[in-house]
Amino acid sequence: MIQLYRVTKYYEGVPALRDVSFTVDKGEFVFVTGPSGAGKTTLLKILFCAEHADEGQIILQGMNTFRLSSSSIPYLRRNMGFVFQDYKLLPHKTVFENIALALKVVGTSYGEIERRAYQVLKKVGLEDKRHLTPPKLSGGEQQRVAVARALVNEPQVLLADEPTGNLDPQSGQEVFRLFRDINMKGTTVLIATHDWETVRKMQRRIITMENGRVTDDGKQLPRQLPIELLKPGPGSVPFEGEP
Amino acid sequence: MKGYGLFYFIAEAFRGLRANSIVNLLAVGTISMAMLIVGFFLLVFINIQSTVTSLGDRLEMSVYLKDGLTEQEKDFLRSRLKIEPGVRKMNFVPKAEALLLLKKELKGQEALIQGLGENPLPDSYEIGIDPRYADVEKLEALAKKISGYRGVEDVSYGRQGAELLTGLYKLITYGGTALAVLLGVAVVFIISNSVRLALYSRGQEIELMQWIGATKGFIQGPFLLEGMMLAMLGTALAVGILAAVFYTLPQELVAILSRPKGLDFLPGHIVAYMILGSGVLGLAGGMVSVSRFLE
Repeated sequence: MIQLYRVTKYYEGVPALRDVSFTVDKGEFVFVTGPSGAGKTTLLKILFCAEHADEGQIILQGMNTFRLSSSSIPYLRRNMGFVFQDYKLLPHKTVFENIALALKVVGTSYGEIERRAYQVLKKVGLEDKRHLTPPKLSGGEQQRVAVARALVNEPQVLLADEPTGNLDPQSGQEVFRLFRDINMKGTTVLIATHDWETVRKMQRRIITMENGRVTDDGKQLPRQLPIELLKPGPGSVPFEGEP
Repeated sequence: MKGYGLFYFIAEAFRGLRANSIVNLLAVGTISMAMLIVGFFLLVFINIQSTVTSLGDRLEMSVYLKDGLTEQEKDFLRSRLKIEPGVRKMNFVPKAEALLLLKKELKGQEALIQGLGENPLPDSYEIGIDPRYADVEKLEALAKKISGYRGVEDVSYGRQGAELLTGLYKLITYGGTALAVLLGVAVVFIISNSVRLALYSRGQEIELMQWIGATKGFIQGPFLLEGMMLAMLGTALAVGILAAVFYTLPQELVAILSRPKGLDFLPGHIVAYMILGSGVLGLAGGMVSVSRFLE
């Protein structure tokens, strides 16, 4: 689904990514962790074709991004959902309109927009708040709207950049649970986060970055590992219904 | 695009116009001022042009024949002149009639021609020139060509009048074109600034649309349409103001201005061209800003 081979990116001569190589298979759930400035956001921007790598090769959904024309990028993005730390919701539009925008840009008919927007809002538990504008929602609710918007076009890949960075632990857990459910239904999920506690509990593949390099891609835990085997760390908040 | 297209773009363009109403009102006002100047010069141009055309209709050329031509030779010459593309109509003036005309013109000063004895005037063809030939160079070429015909003694035409007409035509055409280009550039500039403001005010939305897979056309369509609408509204307003002023002009002033021919307002097709043309300029102005913004 995602293949990176020796990807390097410079900003004004300073390397933000150095020789980054890894592969993410279809349906995988991957965390990219590391301290601030490790290159996580740059990596996601490159995967989302918002930035071009200076060296290396990137294959996304079978397409080499170096060979993509700028007019093809919107079509690639339609198969990818993106969740931002700051939600990027339009404050003057209602929750429904924010979701509908994602459907409009791909040319969905009005009737279909109504149906699909309602369905996805129900999925994130916000169908009753569809007529409210984002400033009237809590941070966690806003992020759930952002997740709903990323999901409404049923993307094959979901990318998220520090999706819980602005949320309290409880709201963060709810958002991560949403990602887990999405992944269970077959969507490939790649999340950049430094919320190590959640990463540890989610028992998924972890790619660790530091100074633009992948320093560790070996902390992959088996997906079937019973959650009971993991003890929550001090101060962590368990998922609802989890021990 | 399923379910979308022009209807979506129009709805979004109107939303944009409403959202930035103050800026857009200023833009429409400025454009209407610029287009008012264009419209005024077009009005002057059209009225001068029709006057010039009516003067051109009266442009004539005299073809003087050699003495002693036979009727057959005159007929042959007539048929050659008749097929000349610059000749609109022609009239044969025998030398006797020419003398009578001269006498008529010199009424009160007949003494000047009393001592002439035999009639010195030649037979002639008086040719009415096609208005499309009301140009010094074309007239010169036509006169030269006819002079070379067998049996032609001399050719004369109102060279000074033709030069004046040609000069006037050129002045109006080139001056008007230069002014229109200048004001056209101004309209593009005004629109591009107005659209740029609209783009900045909706920058967050545009950025988001790019992230969620909107094509360039989907994003820029409403803004281009907005630019077009602004320019067309401004031009329609300018034409309205011009018409209001034109039709409320004091009759005395109209009488002074309209000699020798009545004053006309801009014809419908010119108004349509103005509005459509400004729409194209608005589109260009929108494109300038949108392309820069999306880059």
